[in-house]
Amino acid sequence: MTPEPIFPFRHHGRTGAAVRVALVNLGLNIVTLSFWRFWGRTNVRRLLWGGTSVWDDPVEYTGLGGELFKGFLLVLLVVYLPLLGLYGWAQVLIAAEDPRGGLMLAGLYPLTIFLIAVGGFRARRYQLSRTLWRGIRGGQTGSAVGYALRSMAVWVLVPLTLGWALPWGEMMLARYRLGHTTFGDRTFACDAGVKGLYARMAVMWLCGAVYLTLAVGFAVLLEQWGIEEEAGAFYLAMLALGAVFVLVVPWAWYRAAVFTRLAAGTSFDGHRFTAQVRTWPLIRLVLGNALISLFSLGVLRPWAAQRTFRFTCSVMAVDGVPDFAAIHQSADHGPSTGEGLVSVLDGAGEF
Amino acid sequence: MQSDRPGRFNDGRSASSRKVMVRAMATGVEIRGEDGFLIAVWKTDDLVADGELPDGKGVRLRCAAEPDARLAIADAVFVREALSVPPKRFRPVRWGLAAGLILGAGVLIGLYLSLPDLSRLGAAMMPPQTERAWGSQIAAGFERQMRACRSPAGSEALARLTDRLTAGLPPERRAVTVRVLDGKVVNALALPGAEIIVFRGLIDEAGGPDELAGVLAHELTHVAERHPAAALIRGLGVGVIATVITGDASGLVASGLVTVMASAYTRDDEAAADRGALALLTRAGIGKDGFAAFFHRLEGREASGGLLPAWMSTHPDSKARAEAVETATAAAKSLPPSLRDTEWQAIKAICGGV
Ligand SMILES: [Zn+2]
Repeated sequence: MTPEPIFPFRHHGRTGAAVRVALVNLGLNIVTLSFWRFWGRTNVRRLLWGGTSVWDDPVEYTGLGGELFKGFLLVLLVVYLPLLGLYGWAQVLIAAEDPRGGLMLAGLYPLTIFLIAVGGFRARRYQLSRTLWRGIRGGQTGSAVGYALRSMAVWVLVPLTLGWALPWGEMMLARYRLGHTTFGDRTFACDAGVKGLYARMAVMWLCGAVYLTLAVGFAVLLEQWGIEEEAGAFYLAMLALGAVFVLVVPWAWYRAAVFTRLAAGTSFDGHRFTAQVRTWPLIRLVLGNALISLFSLGVLRPWAAQRTFRFTCSVMAVDGVPDFAAIHQSADHGPSTGEGLVSVLDGAGEF
Repeated sequence: MQSDRPGRFNDGRSASSRKVMVRAMATGVEIRGEDGFLIAVWKTDDLVADGELPDGKGVRLRCAAEPDARLAIADAVFVREALSVPPKRFRPVRWGLAAGLILGAGVLIGLYLSLPDLSRLGAAMMPPQTERAWGSQIAAGFERQMRACRSPAGSEALARLTDRLTAGLPPERRAVTVRVLDGKVVNALALPGAEIIVFRGLIDEAGGPDELAGVLAHELTHVAERHPAAALIRGLGVGVIATVITGDASGLVASGLVTVMASAYTRDDEAAADRGALALLTRAGIGKDGFAAFFHRLEGREASGGLLPAWMSTHPDSKARAEAVETATAAAKSLPPSLRDTEWQAIKAICGGV
């Protein structure tokens, strides 16, 4: 017998508030030559976290812009500038036709990707340690290096297997992330597998292959018939329209399954989560967010992030109430500076 | 008057939420369990307003002395009663922000003004061998893309002209390599170290040896005053600062800004190079008219609206500079051409002739 699912998550932030924060940040970023971005991102998070409540108590974001700024400066000096110097040196060696230049670049590219992966994991640790509920801190254990090595293995295997390693790879990484997520002195557990994912992966893969074959085939045919510009433009438009149906729908169908499996595989204090993600709402969310980001040139991304929060809160359920009295404050206060690696090497933070 | 209000309390030690009764006192608030047992007393001075519950269901309070504890009270009016002074909100950042903006602007202006001197200092501190190696590396890069032009007579004539001009430089800066590259651009470049590149287009465009001598004298001054190394260091500095400020790791902002700032900074270098060129020409006994004529020639091209010669885009305001050269006091008597006609023809044909 499975207990009745409870929907404890709610997002009650208003769109107007997200748009206002986004526009204020835009203005301040312009006058401060984008120096404001650390504080701006913090304000957006405070809005998104604070607009979310769990069992009627709000989530809080307690990070500070100054922490992000310090992390940025630190990584800039310790990692980014030396890396830039090494890249410059490699370029000089290549210009001088020294074979060591190419060798250096061959080492620098993986190193950069590795550092981005490390940075992503560390950023998550920072964000979780600044996330409070009922005064209790979240957190993340695990090793950033271990996570980065696993990520790189996935990024190498996915293209090598023509995409077939994707379901296995992304579930493995998600298991690592969720299995090292903590709230107070408790750790989440995640045993999400790939069950049911490969069927949807196959459909997505076949649709992609068929689409690619057709697109290339038509292009070759049109080339042989020697058609004019107008027909070419029409062909491109049809191709784009076709992509929405042939690529986006199977992709969303697959992502919905990933989301559902991930939630179902995750538990906290012995209580399992569930997520009722259906394909169409997911398409609406993702396409809507893409259009918002595109037409606002990224300025209104906080609004898009808010829609994601709202969606996630509306679908997440849990099969029971954890024994909160037994969950104690975590002794780990988290890193003192935030996200340096990501904000330098990756730049674009979502929210 | 004592009034108990219902609320929810998190003690910050566990994640449990317990129903409490909150009582406003003169000195703060008392938080009691439903059994009446006293849980906590929060002093008025420590109270921090922590926002409102959604849908106007109440307010939240925190206590500075117990940062992890949380209190939600269903009655908003209660809080106003309870607090003699309005609860502390998050510190307003306005003054800090204004100070930060002024400080930031000050730092930027300071950097802008001091960058030329800093980069000159950097160039001066660079060991000469390093600077030379750097320059010859760049020159070698150019030579891979364009054929280097050499001919016995042409190279000899060019070397004679260069030697006459460098005689006016300090001894340690006299060893200069002048390369002619087979490119159409009307341009000449000074590189770090002691490298000058003259493109065939400029030799084609020049109407006589004195015009070439003027351009060479100008570039030699750049070399002698180490302008190219300073400019490259300056560009590097602008790029790094742009990256630090905007956080753009792709380098797009940096390279754009480097281009814009380069033109803002080069004017001083160019004026200095023109002055130095006049001095070198005078020492070498070469008339300044050729130098001025070259500027007028470029100005003509500018007016005719054709493709701007490259030397102009790196050296703007040719008319004003021609006038500056003409009004400068130099040897009054007319001087013989700097090269014999056969030598000049040899230089013109150095890339194989047309
Ligand atoms: Zn110049």
